[in-house]
Amino acid sequence: MIRLAFRNLFQNKARLAISVGGVALALLLILSLDAVFTGVERQITAYIEYSDADVWVSQAGVLNMHMASSSLPDSVARKVRAVPGVASVTPILYLTNNVVYEDERNLAYIIGLPESAEMGGPWKVSSGRSLPGKSEAIIDRTIAEKAGIKMGDEVEILGEEFEVTGLSEGTASLVNSVAFISMDDFEDLRGNYGTFSFLLVKVLEGESPELVAARIQAQVRDVTVQTREGFARQERRVVQDMSTDVVTIMNLIGFLIGLAVMALTVYTSTLSRRREYGMLKALGARNTDLYLTVLAQAILSVILGFLVGLVLTLLLTVVVPIFGSNLALEVSRASLLKVASVSVVIAAVSAMLPIRQIAGLDPAMVFRGR
Amino acid sequence: MSLARRNLFQDKTRLALSIGGVALAVMLILVLKGFLAGMNRQITSYLDRSPGSIVVAEEDVVNLLGATSLLPEGVDEKAERIRGVEEVTPILSQFIILELHEKKQPAYMVGYDPELGGGPWQLVAGREPRSKKEMVFDRVLAQRHNLTLGDRVEVMGQDFTIVGLSSGTTSWMTSFFFVRKQDAENLLLAPGATSFLLLTTSDGADLDKILKRFNDFSDVNALTKREMAANDLKLFARIFSAPLKLMVGIAFLVGTMIVGLIIYTATVERQREYGVIKAIGGKNRFLYQVVVTQALFASIAGSFLGILLANGTAQWIMSARPQFLIVFDPVDSGQALLAGLGMALIASIFPTRVVARLAPAEVFRK
Repeated sequence: MIRLAFRNLFQNKARLAISVGGVALALLLILSLDAVFTGVERQITAYIEYSDADVWVSQAGVLNMHMASSSLPDSVARKVRAVPGVASVTPILYLTNNVVYEDERNLAYIIGLPESAEMGGPWKVSSGRSLPGKSEAIIDRTIAEKAGIKMGDEVEILGEEFEVTGLSEGTASLVNSVAFISMDDFEDLRGNYGTFSFLLVKVLEGESPELVAARIQAQVRDVTVQTREGFARQERRVVQDMSTDVVTIMNLIGFLIGLAVMALTVYTSTLSRRREYGMLKALGARNTDLYLTVLAQAILSVILGFLVGLVLTLLLTVVVPIFGSNLALEVSRASLLKVASVSVVIAAVSAMLPIRQIAGLDPAMVFRGR
Repeated sequence: MSLARRNLFQDKTRLALSIGGVALAVMLILVLKGFLAGMNRQITSYLDRSPGSIVVAEEDVVNLLGATSLLPEGVDEKAERIRGVEEVTPILSQFIILELHEKKQPAYMVGYDPELGGGPWQLVAGREPRSKKEMVFDRVLAQRHNLTLGDRVEVMGQDFTIVGLSSGTTSWMTSFFFVRKQDAENLLLAPGATSFLLLTTSDGADLDKILKRFNDFSDVNALTKREMAANDLKLFARIFSAPLKLMVGIAFLVGTMIVGLIIYTATVERQREYGVIKAIGGKNRFLYQVVVTQALFASIAGSFLGILLANGTAQWIMSARPQFLIVFDPVDSGQALLAGLGMALIASIFPTRVVARLAPAEVFRK
C-alpha cells in the first residue's frame, strides 16, 4: 500500500509540486515567524552574551536591559569589588538614543565605556579602534554602510558630534544597534556623574558565577545580581512573552492554510484515482487498506512539504540579510519539533476527508466503466 | 463562460476547499495589515490625547517611545516665559518591564503631576494618584491579570497600589500606566528629572515662532506633537515592516499555489474535452479564457470570503485578546481583491501551457 501511495503521488509531478509547495509555504509561515522571533531573541541578547562578564549587577528590581532603566551609585562598584570571588568590575552607562548622520537616524543602545574597559566593549571590530576615546564613537558596520558613514566621519549622539573611529560587527538588531562612546563623554552629556547603569563583573578563575552572584546579592544592598546566562534569559523572556499571542494566532492561521492545501490535494488525488481504488476493491482490497494508502500519501506529501518549507526557511535566513535588512532569522529546535507535530496533524486530518469517498466506492463501478 | 462554470461547479467539495484556501490566505494578508494599522493607532495614543500641541525633548530626541529623554534643568521655567505658551506640562517617562504572573510585560510609565495634567485621559474606575506609590493602571492589562482597584503591582522593586483604571491606554506591545512624577523620579533615582514638556499654546499663537525660540536654546529639541507621533510611527514601521512584508508575501504565494492546484487539476482532468474542442476548431484563446475564468472565479470568490473572514477573525481576536486592535482600511480590502486577481493570473500560467501543448489528435488516440 505504501508503494501504491508512493506511485500515486509521483505519477503526476506537477500536482505533487503544487501540493508540496502549498504545504511547504503554509509551514514556512509558521517556521519563518518562529525564526524571526528566535533571531530577535539572539540579537537583543547579543550584547549581554558577548559582554565577557560573568555577572551583571543592576538597580534593585531591574531584571532587564532592553526597555529598562537602571541607576547605581558609585559606592556600589566599590562594594562589589570587595566581595570575595570578584576578579574585576567594569561599570557602564547605558541609555537608548539615536546615532544621527545627515537625515538618517538610527536608534541605538548608547554604551558609555570607561577608559581601558575590560568588559562590555564591542566584541568584534571590523575596522578601527576597539575602545572609544574622547569624542570618538564605535558604531555598527551595517548601520554605517546603510547610512553611508565612513571611518573618520562625524555622527551626532546625544546632541554632540563624535568621530567614528571604529566599526563593530554583530551589534545591530531589527530594533536597534549598539554604539559605544567614552564614559567621560556620556557623563558630560547626561550630567550623571557618580552613577552607573550596570556593573559588569568578572569572577576569579575557579569561582562559580552563581555563587559569586549570590554573595554580591547578600552583601550589597539595593541591587539585583544575575549571572550572564540569567540576565540573557530574562531578555529572551521579554521577546517570548510579548510574542506569545501573535505567534499563536499566526500558527493557527498557518495550520489552517496547510490543512486546506493538504485536504485539497488528498481529496483531488483520491477523486482522480476513483477507478483504481474501485479496481482494488473489486480485487478484494479492504477499505482500511485504501484509507492507509490515502494516509500514507498525505504523510509523504507533508514530509516533503516540511522538508521544502525548512529548506525555504533556511534560504530566507541567508537571503534576507543580503537585502540589507537587520532581520535575522534563526531556526530553533523547538520550532522544528512544533512544525513537525503540526505536519503530522495536518496529514492525519486531511486524510480523513476522502474516507467517505472510499467507503462509498462501488467495486462494480469499474466494470461499468465509470 | 458556461464551460468554465460547469468545470468549477461539478465538484463542489473541491471548489469549496479551493475558495476556502484562498480565503484563508487573503484573510491572513488583511489581518496582518489591520494589525499593523491598529498598532499604529495604539502607538500614538498618548500623543494624540495628552495636552498641548508642542513637545520639548532633549536635543536629538525626536521620539516619545524610541529614545530616553532627559531635559536640562530650568527648561520648564524658560518655557513659561515664552510668549504664546499658556501651559507647561512636565512628564518623566520610561519603558519598564513589569512582571505580572511570571510574564514579562513591557509598559510605558508616565510620571506626571495630576494638577498640571499629562496623565490618563479616560478613567473608567477610581481616581488619579494623590499620594506616594499610587498608580493608574491600564484597564485591559488589569483585566488580563485579574488586577483591580486596591491591588498592588511591583514596579522596579517597589509596590504601587492601583487607585484608578484607564481606558484607551493599551496595546499588545506595551500599555501605559501613570504615577506621580515624584514617584517616577524616585524609581529612576533621578530627583527633579523631566523627560518631556508638553506645551499648550494660546489661541492664535505662532507655533513656528515658539518652536524656533525653543530650538535656539541649547540641549533641547522642540517639535509639534504631530511630528513626534509621525516619528514614532516611522520608527515602529521600520521595525515591523520587514517581518510583515515577509508574511504577506508568503500568504500571497500560498493563495497562488492553491488556485494553481485547483485549476491545474481541473484542466488536466478535462484534457480530453479540451482536445475535442480543439479538434472541432476551437482556438487556444477560447480555452485560455476558460482556464483564466475558472482561476478568476476561485480567486475573487476566495478574496470576498477572505474579507468577510478577516472581519470575523478580527472581532474574535479583539474580544479574546483585547490588547490587540485590528483596524481595516477599505483600501486594504481593494488591495486584497487585487491580490486575488494577481493570484488568479499567476495561477493560470501553468494550466494554460498544458492547454496550449494539447494536440487535438490526442483525443482520438485515447
